[in-house]
Amino acid sequence: MVSHSSSVTVRHVRLLASPATILVLVTAVIPLVVLSTTVVRSADIISIWQNSAVQKALIFSVWQALLSTIFTILIGLIATWYLTRYQFRGRQALITLITVSFVLPTVTVGAAFIAVLPSWLHHSTFAIVLAHLFFNISIVVRTVGPRWNSIGDQLIDSARTLGATPLQTWRHVIMPLGKSAIYSSATLTFFMCFTSYGIITILGGPGLATLDIEIYRRAVQLGDLSGATVLAVAQMLFITIAFLIWSRSRSVELMTFRVAAVSQHKPAVVSKLFVGALTIFFLAPLLALSIASIRTGQSWSLSGWKVLLGIQNQRGLQVDIWQALLTSGKYALIASCIALPTGIAATYAFSKNGSTNGRWSSLAILPLSISPVVVGLAILVTYDFAPFEFRSSWFLIPVVHAAIAMPFVVRAALPVVQGIPPDLRSAAATLGSSPWRRFCFVEIPLLRPAITTGIAFSMAISLGEFGATSFLTRRESQTLPIVIADLFGKAGAIPRASGMTASLLLVIVTGIIVLSVDRKPHV
Amino acid sequence: MSLVIDNISFSYGDRNILRNFTLQIPPGKTTAVVGPSGSGKSTLLRIIAGLLTPAAGTIVLNGHDISRVPTHLRSVGMIFQDNQLFPHLNVYDNVAFGLRMAKVDKQIIAERCQELLDLVGLAEAAKQSVATLSGGEAKRVALARALAPCPQVLLLDEPLTGLDSELHDRLAQDLQRILHATSTTALLVTHLIPEAEVISDAIHHLIDGDQSPQAGVSH
Repeated sequence: MVSHSSSVTVRHVRLLASPATILVLVTAVIPLVVLSTTVVRSADIISIWQNSAVQKALIFSVWQALLSTIFTILIGLIATWYLTRYQFRGRQALITLITVSFVLPTVTVGAAFIAVLPSWLHHSTFAIVLAHLFFNISIVVRTVGPRWNSIGDQLIDSARTLGATPLQTWRHVIMPLGKSAIYSSATLTFFMCFTSYGIITILGGPGLATLDIEIYRRAVQLGDLSGATVLAVAQMLFITIAFLIWSRSRSVELMTFRVAAVSQHKPAVVSKLFVGALTIFFLAPLLALSIASIRTGQSWSLSGWKVLLGIQNQRGLQVDIWQALLTSGKYALIASCIALPTGIAATYAFSKNGSTNGRWSSLAILPLSISPVVVGLAILVTYDFAPFEFRSSWFLIPVVHAAIAMPFVVRAALPVVQGIPPDLRSAAATLGSSPWRRFCFVEIPLLRPAITTGIAFSMAISLGEFGATSFLTRRESQTLPIVIADLFGKAGAIPRASGMTASLLLVIVTGIIVLSVDRKPHV
Repeated sequence: MSLVIDNISFSYGDRNILRNFTLQIPPGKTTAVVGPSGSGKSTLLRIIAGLLTPAAGTIVLNGHDISRVPTHLRSVGMIFQDNQLFPHLNVYDNVAFGLRMAKVDKQIIAERCQELLDLVGLAEAAKQSVATLSGGEAKRVALARALAPCPQVLLLDEPLTGLDSELHDRLAQDLQRILHATSTTALLVTHLIPEAEVISDAIHHLIDGDQSPQAGVSH
């Protein structure tokens, strides 16, 4: 490995970026090109949009994403303000809770809201918006937090001495200073909600389908691959074009994983109430999930656990939870082993000469918003011809997980790599250390926090990935999220209890990994 | 526009920062409080501005007790040690900030800003980003910004710290000239006696939160 200072040449950049480029080409670009050029019947390009189910799905996708984004930004900004400006008991725990919520598997978040909400709200837009809020507040906290953290107390004091009321200070100082970060987090939240799949699978029910659900329904249930592809390509083009136009006009804030130290303000009563409510909002679904796992119908029962662990037999309900756990664990390990070195090498390529190219920054965020459902469908279609007949090979799944996780590794590593002063490498060089030894003894120790965060997040993302996996999974290689979605798709109290139990297991496994690998995921 | 600081006490935990501090600042004059680092000078200014609440004592401005009035309603301007210019606003918008908060008419804001930028010699830099200003220019913008809303009293917290000696001396004289020309009632805190001598009309000494026997010595 070489330093990213002036010694990095174009050749080095290409070399460092090549593993990431290959990964993105193999898992996204080639499949998407193949998908859009092979299976589409030209008649479908127009006619599919006249289908009422498609129109309904499109309108609902936009509507629920807009609503979710507005709520997430509103609540997220208040949460960010308290978390970045105030010191209170349990602050670190709340930050950890918010961080972990972002990497929780989407199907488990859906299950948790089924557990916490009354049944008349189960399949409602309200439930979906709440679950999106739970999932995406972390984006706002992590994007806007570092920006607001850098606003000194005295800057706010100076606005006050100039006669600004607290509201005017917000409007004229605090909001403008966080503007680009707020826009970034709003856009990312909108795209995340627009392409939401796992949450809608559980909470949407029959009446509330998004475009992703419609793509899956057409491809898998109706066998209309051409129609599904038209929708998938249209969605992908819309997101990519919207993203590129948007990122041309403003700087894209990178989500960072760490927020600097907080100043020592003590919150007022209203602030304490808000923080308390927020804590309950994040804890209640998880608690309800735990309770739901030991209830069957209206009574207390361990049937969910028994069926899952194979102690109790239930007709039509064969679940090999150990196999699913093992498969999920194996994929998570492989995915992080691919995503980590690839992502770190790409980070060095991105941060050539110590400054990040704006376009690269946008590209680092873009994969987050491309729907995994589309990627899954594209891979399924592409790798179906000899000699590339990999669609039934299990290794495709962790490779796709690695591609989805890689942007997180880049984002965790970028600020760290950029923060290494070039003179530090020069100092090591003048002390006689070779480029390789400089990398091992200077850079790796400095990169350690990014490495641990990268491992934790790529494992968590692999463990929870549902969209692409739902297309690529085979009976013998089912991951936990697939098992959970299957269980929730079955009627009856026992499959539901087992689904809750499996969700709880997945939350616990994800939580343990994130908290143990990355002890301070978000300081 | 007189300011009376009456028996102010303030402590952080067990540490007394100010003990029964009393000071009267005559209208239209600049008074300096001189003391070493940690003597409580900045705390005194923050209490007057309403950014800190004293344990005891009152602040009286023009006969009105403002001890419980929130900062934005006190009509107290302040120049911070490191200026605290708003990074997202240009020079003109920084100077106009206080007037806009008071919802002053646009035409009047433009005239007032022009007048102040002329006064501090930065009329040409109105549209410039504050990030491009030199240390001396940034200080002048901070002064113009603080004077723009016509505060009843101006507080200056070590306003010339961090400037090289030539610039320091020149700005000290400029400050004295501008404060005198605008008949501003001002309170300057600094650890440099020569600086206080140039800018202010009277000097008070503060040592470890107590007024020294030299308090009230004029020059």
